Amino acid sequence: MSQLSVLDSRDLPELLVALQRYGYRVVGPTRRDGAIVYDELVSAADLPIGWTDEQEAGHYRLKRREDDAVFAYAVGPHSWKRFLHPSPLILWRARRTAVGVSIETPTEELPRLALFGVRSCDLHAIAVLDRVLRGGPFVDPYYAERRSRVFVVAINCGHFSPSTCFCVSMGTGPKATFGFDLALTEVLEPGRHAFVVEVGTEEGAEVLRQVPHRTAEPWERAAAEHVVKRTAARMGRRLETAGLKEALYANLEHPRWDDVAQRCLTCGNCTMVCPTCFCFTVEDRTDLTGTVTERVRRLDVCFTTEFTYTAGKPLRQSARSRYRQWLTHKLGSWGDQFGVSGCVGCGRCITWCPVGIDMTEEAAAIRSPSEPGERTR
Amino acid sequence: MREPSSAPPPGANPYIPVPFRVSGRRRETADTVTLRLRSPTGDSLPFKPGQFMMLYVFGVGEVPISVSGRPRRADILEHTVRAVGPVTRRLAALRRGDWVGVRGPFGQGWPLALAEGFDVLLVAGGLGLAPLRSALLQILAQRDRYRRVTVLYGARSPADLLYRLDLTRWQQRPDLELRVTVDRADERWRGQIGVVPALIAQVERQFEPTRTVALVCGPEVMMRFTVRELQKRGVPDDLIYLSLERNMKCALGLCGHCQFGPAFICKDGPVMPFSRLAPFSEIREL
Amino acid sequence: MSDHTPAEILGSHPFTADLSDEDRAQLAKLARLGVYDPDDYLLREGQPATAFYLIVEGLVSIELFIPGHGPRPLQTVEGGSAVGWSWMLAPSRWEFDARALERTTALILDGERLRDLFVEDCCLGLRIAHRLLFVVAERLKAARLQLLDLYGPPREL
Repeated sequence: MSQLSVLDSRDLPELLVALQRYGYRVVGPTRRDGAIVYDELVSAADLPIGWTDEQEAGHYRLKRREDDAVFAYAVGPHSWKRFLHPSPLILWRARRTAVGVSIETPTEELPRLALFGVRSCDLHAIAVLDRVLRGGPFVDPYYAERRSRVFVVAINCGHFSPSTCFCVSMGTGPKATFGFDLALTEVLEPGRHAFVVEVGTEEGAEVLRQVPHRTAEPWERAAAEHVVKRTAARMGRRLETAGLKEALYANLEHPRWDDVAQRCLTCGNCTMVCPTCFCFTVEDRTDLTGTVTERVRRLDVCFTTEFTYTAGKPLRQSARSRYRQWLTHKLGSWGDQFGVSGCVGCGRCITWCPVGIDMTEEAAAIRSPSEPGERTR
Repeated sequence: MREPSSAPPPGANPYIPVPFRVSGRRRETADTVTLRLRSPTGDSLPFKPGQFMMLYVFGVGEVPISVSGRPRRADILEHTVRAVGPVTRRLAALRRGDWVGVRGPFGQGWPLALAEGFDVLLVAGGLGLAPLRSALLQILAQRDRYRRVTVLYGARSPADLLYRLDLTRWQQRPDLELRVTVDRADERWRGQIGVVPALIAQVERQFEPTRTVALVCGPEVMMRFTVRELQKRGVPDDLIYLSLERNMKCALGLCGHCQFGPAFICKDGPVMPFSRLAPFSEIREL
Repeated sequence: MSDHTPAEILGSHPFTADLSDEDRAQLAKLARLGVYDPDDYLLREGQPATAFYLIVEGLVSIELFIPGHGPRPLQTVEGGSAVGWSWMLAPSRWEFDARALERTTALILDGERLRDLFVEDCCLGLRIAHRLLFVVAERLKAARLQLLDLYGPPREL
């Protein structure tokens, strides 16, 4: 392990200031509309200090804590894709000219973003988006440009949501192991509140040099280790991943799909909160004179019938087929397509499902043999 | 997953269309036209039969359309378009000289190299003849590379037959067996009335099942029944190739719309061997 | 083809080629050759169904006359296939017309004598019935697919 440093909690605001001084716009967790979302942090005061959340399937509440913990909550409805794969996004503008049509991409300077407080599951989610949007034969230039400019401050999870988090079984957490410039572990004990800092890149080291810190003592290293070990040990929820893709492919006509279709509202909340759901659609907007038009990209939802509209008809008409597409893609075919699972175990889709559908429960049911005499199609 | 045969130049923005102009337009049927497109600057988009382009109408939108011309000259594109949606209606109404944006080519084409030395059976239903025409023109240009070549084509009615001039020419070639059938006709039609899969029985002595590559394109039901007829006669699944159609927004494997099981039709297809589709072919609404 | 004997034709026609020599010899006794010019009728709606047609070469239209419209072709039958099964359901009459679209040669088997033959030789009867069922099934499958109007404009089915 690289050398660890310690940042006193009083000096955390300095870290934001240092990032801003380096030209970064800092985005991270902040409290708004009863949830912890990701948005610009002007200063450390914007962080949800002293707040925690309570999450269950279909349930999310913020609660005040007794202490001043900075990261004592699990992931909220937002994920980092809102910055890396933003929606809506203008892909290009076209203008009719005397000789034809000229097409230009937006030229606005993109801000350099520092993602502040990225959890391990979300580092994995970003790695998944990397494979999808810049790892294939065609690179999405909009994603690639945004992605290449970010600075990542990760946070190792000392708090998790017992009813929704399952990163341990997905091998995606709770400790950040890659993909960060700096990784923090919040150590909060009676009379002591500090962050143990691991440096991931040279740029991370440079930023850290601008902030008061000291070398971590062995006991502080141990305390930081203990934080993630305790989280890992207590996380009971799991998704059994061994053979899952094969099980899903073998059970595409399982009666459980009918069962979940009875509950699913096909609202698409799960795709919107999912940190890896990347599907998009495009639309063309033209000004009133008809001389300038722009192509706009928006994240799309595979739960709509429009999603598969082909030659005048949607191909996936039943809710059953649309839920099945989402789950088998996320947990199955994603592996064939991109060599990795589309699920990172963050649990957002469970919390934000209005009817509390738990995909780990659905996956488990679908891989269990259907009862004889149950209805099949 | 295979690499697409058209790797993009590094750094290029794959969302930006290349300007083309309509250089010719032929009405095929009441709702279908063939557009000939030409790059005003001589840009060429070298394609293979079976691949497709994204055609963009200024301010309206973009749709995937197969190439239907011969890949001899990459600066001239031919696309047969049926007016069914907002974009295709506008495409079909374009006139000579009108501007069209083109992205592509995309996807896997017909396995014409694999078919060399084999009997080739092309089975088309309706607009499915468009992508197969490109393959046939290529095959006929290199006719000696292939054994017997048979084309089976089914259309809705005599008035719905595409490429009449080509059909007449093909009919007269001694090195090509062409059979045309329609679903419905009046008494003036002197040809066959029936469905394409039924034509396979008529030509079963003109192909050797295990040395035949079948290229099939048409509505999904027509392809399903065609595959069964081919299987019954012993054509192996990995020599039956289908061209599939799905909603596509990007054609780059990024937008997620065209998935069929693990495949992205835009990059793993549109042409795929039935052996890869078979595990999912009986699953409805996949 | 018209210079071949019925026995020779039965030996090469897909419907009968793989029957035994004895079976084909039996059938040959009931068969005669018919040659039709374009627009000649092989059989007509309403007439007694008395024969079974093995189309040797040519093209035959199965059709219905619609008052005010004329003949409406529904399906065509090529050389190598068969026309007519009403003779097996005797006594019955033809339900459709069958008209030659091209010069057509057919082997015509006498329906009544065929039925008698099947009573004598049930095994042969079953073999022919089985082949005929295959023809009927193919024709029905094609009719169902035609009903779908697969190449029509997208619309509610």
